[in-house]
Amino acid sequence: MSIDVADTPVVPPDAGSPPGIVVRGVARSFGPVRALDGIDLEARAGRVTALVGPNGSGKTTLLLVLAGLLVPDAGTVRIAGHDPVADGPAARARTGWMPDAFGTWDTLTARQVLLTFAAAYRIPTATARLRVDELLATVHLTEYADRPASVLSRGQKQRLGLARALVHSPDVLLLDEPASGLDPRSRVDLRVLLRRLADEGRTVLVSSHVLSELEEMADDAVFISRGRTVVPETITTSSTWHVRALSLGALTGWLTSVGASWRPGDTSAGDEGPGSVLLEVANDEGAARLVRDAVAAGVPLTSLAPVAGALEQAYLTLEEERR
Amino acid sequence: MTAMTPVTISEPTTPEPPRVSRSGTWRVSWHGIRTVAQLELRQRVRSTRWIVALVVWFVVVGGLTLLLSGVLTQDTTGLSNTGPLMFGAVVYLVLGLGLLVTPTLTSTAVNGDRNAGTLATLQVTLLSPAEIALGKLAAAWLAACAFLVVSIPFLVLALFRGDTPAFSIVRVVVVVALLLVSVCGIGLGFSALVSRTAGSTVLTFLTVAGLVLLTPMLFGLTYPSIDREQEVQVWLPVEGSTFDQDTECEFQTQVRTVAHTERTWWLLGINPFVIVADGAGTTATSDDDSGRDPLGSIRDAVRGLRTPDTVVDECYYYTGADPIEPQGSDASPIWPWGLAGNLALGAAGFVVAVRRLAIPSRKLARGTRVA
Repeated sequence: MSIDVADTPVVPPDAGSPPGIVVRGVARSFGPVRALDGIDLEARAGRVTALVGPNGSGKTTLLLVLAGLLVPDAGTVRIAGHDPVADGPAARARTGWMPDAFGTWDTLTARQVLLTFAAAYRIPTATARLRVDELLATVHLTEYADRPASVLSRGQKQRLGLARALVHSPDVLLLDEPASGLDPRSRVDLRVLLRRLADEGRTVLVSSHVLSELEEMADDAVFISRGRTVVPETITTSSTWHVRALSLGALTGWLTSVGASWRPGDTSAGDEGPGSVLLEVANDEGAARLVRDAVAAGVPLTSLAPVAGALEQAYLTLEEERR
Repeated sequence: MTAMTPVTISEPTTPEPPRVSRSGTWRVSWHGIRTVAQLELRQRVRSTRWIVALVVWFVVVGGLTLLLSGVLTQDTTGLSNTGPLMFGAVVYLVLGLGLLVTPTLTSTAVNGDRNAGTLATLQVTLLSPAEIALGKLAAAWLAACAFLVVSIPFLVLALFRGDTPAFSIVRVVVVVALLLVSVCGIGLGFSALVSRTAGSTVLTFLTVAGLVLLTPMLFGLTYPSIDREQEVQVWLPVEGSTFDQDTECEFQTQVRTVAHTERTWWLLGINPFVIVADGAGTTATSDDDSGRDPLGSIRDAVRGLRTPDTVVDECYYYTGADPIEPQGSDASPIWPWGLAGNLALGAAGFVVAVRRLAIPSRKLARGTRVA
């Protein structure tokens, strides 16, 4: 993988969805440490964008800049069209930020914590009460609503932190390792919630190390390494599919006859046995058509799934740059 | 690794640092202040420690007041009325304990939150830095005032001993409350300036100790350096006259050592104990029996320091009309200046805190993880 810092947009323009986050050439140093060294990224509204990078690559610093807490040494940032440096309040009103490490006021109840933040975002009290009840239900903390935050477990605090970031219905969500400390059930809930938020037209930027998780929820990915955006690309997991059939020969024969280009997958059982191929499919509609046509053609199809691990593959190429 | 080809890379030519606008820093709304103050108070009041502290305070101040009232009787002091002495003692007790307790109320307000990871999440809301700082200040001041209010019964008790104008209690409470808000402001400033809570607490205590203890020490230590040999008018017995009822006295011009305390009086003027004594408004200046009123005595002594002694009375046995006017000394109050000085220190701390809370920040708070 080559390192490329060309000025081309990170994500190919996607008609209709305005960019929620635009970052151009952002650099930031802490003394001699260049934490950010030219970050370019675009995260689009209505999509979940994964922020992937090794430890110390600058993810958290980037999120601090995006959240309006740090001034970049150079470069420009736009959050829903607003500059967090020049027009902080306008950008912050539209940003929901969940840091990787945060505390809660231990003597306040979960409900009071959220009501306090609602007040801090100047949400009228009556509206805030409804909103807080709704959020507590969303993150499954309703039964803990009136218990002090100190009795919450780590995962529950994490969920409370997520609810806190959502209290003012932000257009742009910045989540730093939101899944850490969550049980499997909560991770699934988180994924569903982020999907829903994106579908509502919000921009979601998630940093995480759990790549399989990211892969399932992210539409786009931005890789950063040593403070730079590296080979930014749209995740193309949905375009390579793993197609398995009871008879490899029947599958390959049919694919060849319809003129599809395929690569061998699992061919261990020979042509007559069960086997699989890798196939480029344009999108979900393409996959549906493939199933329909294959079944119609009498191919004994058993499974059809996107190839997992594309993110992981990409991440591992960054591995050598870990510091 | 192959060398990167710079051909496709358009390296930005030393980009201009982005323009930072913190125009909203000083925007203040009642709603914002109340939100922060409520949060701060909830955090503190919920911890029962705080209630315990109030009860302990009540017991300590009450106990000491009762002990004082047992000790300060007409028999032990030889005074006809121990009321003003009692009042002064209780006032100084409350002020002293208040100055001991108040620094802890704000000295960890900012760095404590930062360490607990709750500050940044508050900063990114629509609360302005001034609102966060004012809210914290207001909450701490309210807490300090709670201690003060709990002490009022004992001040009233001392009032019942007589000879103290009732209005003094109001003046004392107001002046002490304003001194305490200054201390709150100083603590807030240090808590925003220093990353460790222990450091900011020590610095706040040192500042308060400086105001209380260092100022009289400095005044004493600089005393020898303000001496001047100069001619003064001395009212003394005529040479050869006997020391009896009809001693003749006359004015003579002599060279004496005069301490020019008008240069250093302000060292005492900014001392919280002097400010309260001066501001309490107890017995009138010309009261002949002022020795029994500690607050009034301190007030008169410090006020007198502003005018050096240019006329000296050494005709001790003269019984006729004293030609020496009660020195035309400046009797104007000192406390407004002293209080203003303290409030300025508190305001400085507050401004430091607001500036440190302003985001986006150029510097990351020390101790915060990089990347």
